[in-house]
Amino acid sequence: MNVLEYLRDNLVYLDGGMGTLLQKRGLLPGELPERWNVSHPEVIVEIQKAYFDAGSNIVCTNTFGANSLKFERDELETLIRAAVENARRAKEASAGCQEKFIALDIGPMGKLLKPYGDFDFEDAVKVYAETVRIGASCGVDLIFIETMNDSYDTKAALLAAKENCDLPVFVSNAYGEDGKLMTGADPAAMTAMLEGMHADAIGANCSLGPKQLSAVVEEYLKYASVPVLLKPNAGLPRSEDGRTVYDVLPEEFSEDMEEYIRRGVRIAGGCCGTTPEYVAALTERTRGLQPREVTGKNFTVISSYTHAVTFQDSPVLIGERINPTGKKRFKEALRNRDIGYILGEGLTQQEKGAHVLDVNVGLPEIDEAEMLETVCSELQAIIDLPLQIDTTNVNAMERALRRYNGKAMINSVNGKEEVMREIFPLVQKYGGLVVCLTLDEEGIPDSAERRVEIARKIIRTAAEYGIEKKDLIFDTLAMTVSADNRAALATLQALRAIRHDLGCHTSLGVSNVSFGLPSREIITASFFTLALENGLSAAIMNPNSAEMMKSYYAFRALHGLDENCADYIENIERYAAVSGMAVQPGGGFGQSGTGGSQTGVGAGQPAGGPGQTGSGPGQTAAQSGLQRAIVKGLREQAAELTAQLLETEEPLDIVNTQIIPALDVVGQGFEKKTMYLPQLLMSAEASQCAFEQIKKRMSRDSSEQVSRGKFVIATVQGDIHDIGKNIVKLILENYGFDVCDLGRDVPPEKVVEAVTEQRAPLVGLSALMTTTVPAMETTIRLLKEKAPWAKTVVGGAVLTQEYADKIGADYYAKDAMATVRYAMRVTGGEEET
Amino acid sequence: MMENTVFVRNYAGAEELYPVNEREVWRYSGFRGTQDQVDGELRKVFVQVQEELKDAFSYKVCFRRMPVAWEEGIAKLPFGSDSRDLRRCLEGSSEIVIFAATVGLAVDRYIAKYQKFQPTKALLMQAYGAERVERLCELFCGEIRREAAEEGLKCTPRYSPGFGDLPLTVQRDVFRLLECDRKIGISLNESLLMTPSKSVTAVFGLGKDVKRGQL
Repeated sequence: MNVLEYLRDNLVYLDGGMGTLLQKRGLLPGELPERWNVSHPEVIVEIQKAYFDAGSNIVCTNTFGANSLKFERDELETLIRAAVENARRAKEASAGCQEKFIALDIGPMGKLLKPYGDFDFEDAVKVYAETVRIGASCGVDLIFIETMNDSYDTKAALLAAKENCDLPVFVSNAYGEDGKLMTGADPAAMTAMLEGMHADAIGANCSLGPKQLSAVVEEYLKYASVPVLLKPNAGLPRSEDGRTVYDVLPEEFSEDMEEYIRRGVRIAGGCCGTTPEYVAALTERTRGLQPREVTGKNFTVISSYTHAVTFQDSPVLIGERINPTGKKRFKEALRNRDIGYILGEGLTQQEKGAHVLDVNVGLPEIDEAEMLETVCSELQAIIDLPLQIDTTNVNAMERALRRYNGKAMINSVNGKEEVMREIFPLVQKYGGLVVCLTLDEEGIPDSAERRVEIARKIIRTAAEYGIEKKDLIFDTLAMTVSADNRAALATLQALRAIRHDLGCHTSLGVSNVSFGLPSREIITASFFTLALENGLSAAIMNPNSAEMMKSYYAFRALHGLDENCADYIENIERYAAVSGMAVQPGGGFGQSGTGGSQTGVGAGQPAGGPGQTGSGPGQTAAQSGLQRAIVKGLREQAAELTAQLLETEEPLDIVNTQIIPALDVVGQGFEKKTMYLPQLLMSAEASQCAFEQIKKRMSRDSSEQVSRGKFVIATVQGDIHDIGKNIVKLILENYGFDVCDLGRDVPPEKVVEAVTEQRAPLVGLSALMTTTVPAMETTIRLLKEKAPWAKTVVGGAVLTQEYADKIGADYYAKDAMATVRYAMRVTGGEEET
Repeated sequence: MMENTVFVRNYAGAEELYPVNEREVWRYSGFRGTQDQVDGELRKVFVQVQEELKDAFSYKVCFRRMPVAWEEGIAKLPFGSDSRDLRRCLEGSSEIVIFAATVGLAVDRYIAKYQKFQPTKALLMQAYGAERVERLCELFCGEIRREAAEEGLKCTPRYSPGFGDLPLTVQRDVFRLLECDRKIGISLNESLLMTPSKSVTAVFGLGKDVKRGQL
């Protein structure tokens, strides 16, 4: 009998701890337990037989850390084969008459994935794939992925299992006392992602004792439509007379587990500190219990790497601003790969209250698939909102979905056969909530009835791919009311029917409706309210629009969705104060910018108070004010004063007569050690805000940007610290250099490629660790060979002049200002003193 | 039987036990002036940083206590290094404690976020995180010191891979011995950097008659 068939009508018992038992048998600290499959097979068989004897249905192979990062390929194969053989011998030797299965045990590989770690997602998939292939070829009954403390790593392992075998896959995560994984995901988020990818059972193991996992188990039982598994520790270990003891004994353990089984847990066992005794107590106590039926939960849900967003009564706001359509500045950012600008749009929307971000980076002249993948990854590095991936390019969609950490929203399919046949297989594989537009081969129907009909067809086709109704969200298409005065009515009618008759969630891009009318936001916001009243679950909208946000808070208050009107009271003031239309996305995050890099954070300089710029004769208040604002690091003031000055002065005059002199005051203060790194950064940020105003103006006037020259900058391969580099970048930009930031952990070839492509005269390399200086040397050598015109500047905590000379760098910069001075010398700019 | 388990300690609420040492934060940030030279604007940013990171830290330590044998003045340590500096530090101990401490990944996320848009904030967050993990080490070492005192043992100062002649490569041994990734979620990359970045690993000795005592 297949384990899933058995699971349908029965409780399934797992095994207990292995590591603790092996230590008792003499496994040394730091010794790899997987080697015991070959060196001490009799011990492994004995322990596993004891588990079968105690009543376990599933025993895991002793392969927790069996992966290609820890073992050479040949040894890996030998160890896994031996491990499966040991489990099989145990199964045969046991007199227990229960159904018995062998699970290939897979634990985390122990590398943190990018962006926090240095390991690539696809490489992780490859590592797990190898273990899965070997294990599956040995004839195990299922794959057991366990103790995963990172959602992304979990996704890599599950994807590897799904792509390399047809066996059932159980997935178990390790939660901390805060009810979250180490990298932040909660059980609702994990459930969304793992069910989307068709894990056969999900749950929690390790880290904590049964009692502390109560809230985690509750969440799983609430959200999961697949069987829930639980494998806690025997409480916490403590030292008693030089021996390790766990504080939950078999009796108490089995009592706690009984309670969870009564609540609905279907697969139960133990982790660290538990022994066959625990499993025996568990099986004896609970054998007679009637297993609770596993029921499908009707939640429409998406997730990020931290949390899930559920579509219920309260409207979900999907920020629409990451989209180049009609936005000159955004298009320019895409062409220049100014990812910072795009991230800025994301952060501003998050601040303004968006729950989800739509991501559309389609532009004919760029590689959309590559850009979409990059932007999604970069957004996920700093923003924890779920994303709605918005593209008509199927390849781009697949790449983005594959890399996405969580369960994404997919924008979109429609009633066209061809589109559904392309997109639904991706949904089936990676999971996701699909936006379905009610149009088809014949275009957008005028009538509500026809749109509902298309919705039905989409539901039927999705079902062929095993995609449930709850994973479809319908957009009945808001058309321009100024072109057809019945357009809004048809949209609303269709919306109502789909929400209430078909029982599906709905979403609308609401802004279209007001196209061509004056004071558009009034129409858009009113339409939004009407749509909500007709059953709209989510809107793709501009969170910077005060009118929209007012409608949102008012609707929630009026619909009993806002207890004591608390959210309304807390938030409405900031919108109500704005009488006009869009709130300026001021405050918070200005766009542009990007961190800098540096050489030796912490190797700051000492000194006194910030320098002062005297306001010379003939200067206006705004002029001297701007210099002061920059010196003092006042971001908002700097932006405002620049905007004021732009009314009367040429952008470049402001740069040359205000911004640069102010920066020099600070730069000199820094060099003379009367100002320190934090202050240098503060003024750099303020000048960045001033620059953003200037860029906005220049991009409007289409005038040319003046650059002092290209500067390629990177943290070298193997090094993931980039604060130093980011600081240098920022200061260089302030001084007018066109900086191409390659990021961190950059291979030598990539640096050379960028320098050659852009014929950059200057390259900055940063390294923080002695271990990565060799990578710096390799990069320089390659540059000398392939791009001999480029001067290399190096910096970083471990570097010295001597080191720099040794590795052949043209210049050693002790800090950001030194880099600027050198760069100006090389490009022939005058050097202000 | 030899003590053979990695223990984990959580320090929720460590903020209250060990309030921030502002001077140290400023020092880590690169500010070398006196406290009263921190001007208003900068101080404002630090107040924001503290507010934002209020719930961001997750203080955890994992450790292992092991006996140490001395042969002709050379300690037999479970590391791939024979560091004289470490030996000197441990002189007179009969056991060692190896530990790893972290304040969690959340602060790294904040740093990554602000690095691109408000690098000053990112810098102060770096400094604040570094200060927090130092406090955590003090908290943990203080606890062990008190527990050891009950057994009549004294502690040596702590010593970290990368100090003196103890090479950073020893991190691999420390990670193998402590299973840091599994126990408290620290991982080590190819360049021997730890993530979360605000993490510390170290070793110290315990003995009746240690040469150097903990401060």
